[in-house]
Amino acid sequence: MQDAENVAVPEAAEERAEPGQQQPAAEPPPDEGCCGPRGPALRRRQGQRPLVRRWRSRRPGRSRRARPRESGLGTSAPTAGAQAASEDAGGNEGSAAEAEPRALENGDADEPSFSDPEDFVDDVSEEELLGDVLKDRPQEADGIDSVIVVDNVPQVGPDRLEKLKNVIHKIFSKFGKITNDFYPEEDGKTKGYIFLEYASPAHAVDAVKNADGYKLDKQHTFRVNLFTDFDKYMTISDEWDIPEKQPFKDLGNLRYWLEEAECRDQYSVIFESGDRTSIFWNDVKDPVSIEERARWTETYVRWSPKGTYLATFHQRGIALWGGEKFKQIQRFSHQGVQLIDFSPCERYLVTFSPLMDTQDDPQAIIIWDILTGHKKRGFHCESSAHWPIFKWSHDGKFFARMTLDTLSIYETPSMGLLDKKSLKISGIKDFSWSPGGNIIAFWVPEDKDIPARVTLMQLPTRQEIRVRNLFNVVDCKLHWQKNGDYLCVKVDRTPKGTQGVVTNFEIFRMREKQVPVDVVEMKETIIAFAWEPNGSKFAVLHGEAPRISVSFYHVKNNGKIELIKMFDKQQANTIFWSPQGQFVVLAGLRSMNGALAFVDTSDCTVMNIAEHYMASDVEWDPTGRYVVTSVSWWSHKVDNAYWLWTFQGRLLQKNNKDRFCQLLWRPRPPTLLSQEQIKQIKKDLKKYSKIFEQKDRLSQSKASKELVERRRTMMEDFRKYRKMAQELYMEQKNERLELRGGVDTDELDSNVDDWEEETIEFFVTEEIIPLGNQE
Amino acid sequence: MGHTGAVWCVDADNSCRLWDCETGKQLALLKTNSAVRTCGFDFGGNIIMFSTDKQMGYQCFVSFFDLRDPSQIDNNEPYMKIPCNDSKITSAVWGPLGECIIAGHESGELNQYSAKSGEVLVNVKEHSRQINDIQLSRDMTMFVTASKDNTAKLFDSTTLERQKTFRTERPVNSAALSPNYDHVVLGGGQEAMDVTTTSTRIGKFEARFFHLAFEEEFGRVKGHFGPINSVAFHPDGKSYSSGGEDGYVRIHYFDPQYFEFEFEA
Repeated sequence: MQDAENVAVPEAAEERAEPGQQQPAAEPPPDEGCCGPRGPALRRRQGQRPLVRRWRSRRPGRSRRARPRESGLGTSAPTAGAQAASEDAGGNEGSAAEAEPRALENGDADEPSFSDPEDFVDDVSEEELLGDVLKDRPQEADGIDSVIVVDNVPQVGPDRLEKLKNVIHKIFSKFGKITNDFYPEEDGKTKGYIFLEYASPAHAVDAVKNADGYKLDKQHTFRVNLFTDFDKYMTISDEWDIPEKQPFKDLGNLRYWLEEAECRDQYSVIFESGDRTSIFWNDVKDPVSIEERARWTETYVRWSPKGTYLATFHQRGIALWGGEKFKQIQRFSHQGVQLIDFSPCERYLVTFSPLMDTQDDPQAIIIWDILTGHKKRGFHCESSAHWPIFKWSHDGKFFARMTLDTLSIYETPSMGLLDKKSLKISGIKDFSWSPGGNIIAFWVPEDKDIPARVTLMQLPTRQEIRVRNLFNVVDCKLHWQKNGDYLCVKVDRTPKGTQGVVTNFEIFRMREKQVPVDVVEMKETIIAFAWEPNGSKFAVLHGEAPRISVSFYHVKNNGKIELIKMFDKQQANTIFWSPQGQFVVLAGLRSMNGALAFVDTSDCTVMNIAEHYMASDVEWDPTGRYVVTSVSWWSHKVDNAYWLWTFQGRLLQKNNKDRFCQLLWRPRPPTLLSQEQIKQIKKDLKKYSKIFEQKDRLSQSKASKELVERRRTMMEDFRKYRKMAQELYMEQKNERLELRGGVDTDELDSNVDDWEEETIEFFVTEEIIPLGNQE
Repeated sequence: MGHTGAVWCVDADNSCRLWDCETGKQLALLKTNSAVRTCGFDFGGNIIMFSTDKQMGYQCFVSFFDLRDPSQIDNNEPYMKIPCNDSKITSAVWGPLGECIIAGHESGELNQYSAKSGEVLVNVKEHSRQINDIQLSRDMTMFVTASKDNTAKLFDSTTLERQKTFRTERPVNSAALSPNYDHVVLGGGQEAMDVTTTSTRIGKFEARFFHLAFEEEFGRVKGHFGPINSVAFHPDGKSYSSGGEDGYVRIHYFDPQYFEFEFEA
C-alpha cells in the first residue's frame, strides 16, 4: 500500500527516492495525496509492485529536480531564473532531505529487495505505464504566463532595496499573490526594471491592465508588460514585406440604378413567409421584376442608407449584395446575427448577435469596415432592447452609446473613445445626434431640487451650446427635423396644481444664434408627432379614440409657431410625411383597419380618403411620388398584399403576394443639385410637365394597344385549342351515341321529336262580391 | 329512359345509396368504412364510381360498380377498387366516354385513372393546395378545378394540360363553366373558422365571373354572408345558382348587359 501511494505521485516519490536509490519511500508527501484523478493509476499499480520498483531504480543518476523550478521564470530569463531557482530549490531540497531519514527508518526493515536482476531488459515504456500521470507533468513554459515585467522602477542601492520591495509589493499584490520577484542589479544598483511572478496568469493579465501607466512619482511611471509579450515582440522580423497587392475586384457600377432613363425606383419584396425575395422596378403599370431568389435571406433584408447595398440575414452572418446582377459584394461572419445598422456614410456596418459574447472577447456587437470586410472592433452588450445601441453622427465620423450615467462617444476610423474618455452624465435618459451637424442632444430627468434639463453639445469640442431646464417632467422625446434645422423636445409634464399630463413641444431653432426655444402646449393625449422633412412644418395627432384630431403647425421665420389647420374626427395613429415634404399620409394602421388620408399641407386640403383594410405599413418612395401601403404576413395572416398609390392618393396597383412580408424602397443618395438648380427646375416645371404629359399619353396608348394585342393572341390561342377539342368531340360522336343507346344528348334540344308537349290549365273561379249598398 | 332514371347519393354516414328518380325508391345501399366524398355515373350510365375518405385508419379508395352485373351491388363487391395512399381524393368526375375518371387530391394533384385497369394515365400538379371541386364543360372536353390555393384552373379532359388560370385572393370552393359563353363563375371565401379575423364587409363571399380566354374578371355578384360552397350554371346559360355556408341557395338570372358585354379585343 505504501508503495502504491508513492507511485500515484511519481514526481514526489522519485525525488525522495533519489538520494537513497534503492530505498522504498515509506510515506506519502505531506501535501499531496493519492486521490482524485489519480485513482486508476493507484489501483493498477497495486498488483504490479516489481514493475514499479523497476521503473524507479532503472535510472539512478538522472535528476529531474530542477524541472519544476525551471518553470518559474523560464530559460529565457537567465539571470532572474537562476537566482530564483537556486533560492527556491534550496528550500525544497531541505524538505525532501528531511523526509529521507524517516523513509529509511521504517522502510527497509521488513521489505524484500525489489531490485531487478542484472540482465533484466525493460520492455515497458514509461508512457504505457504512467501515461495518465505523465500527461500532467509540468512543462517548461508552465507559469511563464504569470510573469510580468515592470519598467521605470526607481534605481536604488542595497540600502533602499528593502523599502522599494515593500512599495512594489504593496502596489502589485492588489492583483494577486506574488509568488516570486527578481530585481536585477548592476554596479550595486538595481537596473530599473523588475520581474514579478503571480500565482496565476489571470493575475498577471490583471496587473498589466491596471498597473500599466501607474504613476509612482513624478519621475517614475510604470510600464507593465507580460513577460510572454517580450518574447512575442522579440521574434518579430525586422524586415518588412511589401504586402501582396490584392487583385482589384470590379464590382461594376454600384449606382447603376440611378441612371435609369425613366427615373424609376427599385424596391425589395419578401413574400411566401420569407422564402422568396424579389427586387422590382416600380412602374405605374405593373412592377417589373429584376431579380427573384429563393431563401435569399433567413429573416428580413435591409438597404444601406444610400441604397448601394442590400443586406441579407443568415445564421452565420450578414451578406451584402449590389450591382446590376445583385452579386455578393461582402460577407460578415457573425454567428446568430439579429440586428444591423449602417453608418450614414455606408463605410461601416454594426451587427448584433446575442450569442458568442465572452468576458474577454467582446462579440455581441461588431463594427465592420464594409469595403474591406474586416472587423474593426467588438463590444459587449447585454440587451438589444434599444436598437440601434450605437447612434451615428450624420457624417459617420462619430458614434455614441449610452450606458448608466455615461455617454461614450467613439470616433472613426480608429473606433477608439473620443479623447480617450466617456462623458459622465448622471441620470442620462436618452440622446440623439442632429442629422445636420455634429451636435448631440440629450436629456436628464429631475433629481430632487435640480430641474430636468435638455443639453445640446457640440462635438468633438464637447462645448454645451444650449441647456434648457424643465420642471415637473415625466418624460421627454427628442425629434430632429431631417435637415437638423429644428429640434423638438416633446415634454410630458405634470404641472403643480393640475391633474393629468400636459405635453409641451419645445421647439429649438438650431440655425439661429443662441438657439432660441419656443413652446407649444397641448392638453390632449399625443398620439404621434412628425416633422416635415425639408420644411418647417410639423404634424401632431392628438386626442382619444374615437375623437382624434390632427394639427399642422408652421414655425415661421420670426420664430412664431402658428397653427395652420386642425382636422378633427381622424382615423389615424401614424403620420407619414413625404420625403420631399408638403404631402402627408395619415394612416390608421392595424387596429384602425387601415384608414388612409392623403393631405396636401401647402393649402391643407384632404386630397383623398381611402382604406387599405388591415394595412400594417406605409412606405413612401424616396422621391415622394408614390406611396405603398401593405398588409404584412408578419402582422396579419390574410389578404397579404401591397398597394401602390400616387402621392395624391390615387390607387394604381393592388399586388397580391402569397404571404407577403415586407416591402422596402431602395434609398437614393442625396441629390447632387444645388439649391439654386432645384429652384430653377421648380420654376420651369410647366415646361417639363408638357414633356411628361406627352410621354404619359404615348405610354398609355401603347399600354392599351398592348392589352388589346395580348387579348387578341390569347383569344386566338384559345380558339385554336377549342377547335382541336371540338374536332375530337365530333369524332367521338358515334361512340357517345352507342353509349347512350342511340340517343343524341349532345344538345339540349337535339331530341325535339321526343318531346311531349303538355299544356296545363289552371281553373280560377271568379266571384264578384259587391262592396257597399246596392240601390 | 333507363340511365337517367337513377341518382346517386353520398353521405357522411358511411354509405352510398342508389335511388330511382321517378319513384323516389331506394334501389341500393352500400356500406363503406369511411365517409364517401364523391360519386358519379359514367357517360353510358352503367358504371358508378365513388371515393371514400381516409379516416379512422381506413385509407382512401375509389370503387367501381357495374350496374349491369347486379351481384356486384348485392354483394357490395366492386369490380375494381383503386387505393390512394399518398393524398386523399377530394373531388372526382368521370372523363369523356366513361374511359377514365379525373380525380383532384388534397395535395393539389390531379390524376386520371383508367376505369378499366385502375392505373394512373396522367398525373399533373398545378395546384399547391386541396382541389375542392371539378366541373366539366358541357361537351366534357375540358374541366375547371377550384382550389384552396386561391385559384381556379381550366384543363383539357384528355391530356390534363392546363389551359388557363383564374386568380383570386380567397380559397375557391367551386367553379362552373357556362354552357354557351366563354365564361366561368367562381365561388369561395375565407373558411368559416377564419372569418372572424376578416371584416364581414370585406369577407369576399362574392361569386366572381371571369372570361375564359382572357383570364380577366368582368363581374361580381354579392349576396352571401358566408363562403360559397357550390356554384352551377343553368343548362341554358341564362341563370346560375350558388349555395353558401350561410344556408342559402341563391338563384340569379343574368341582366341583358351580361349577354351583350364584350371585351375590347
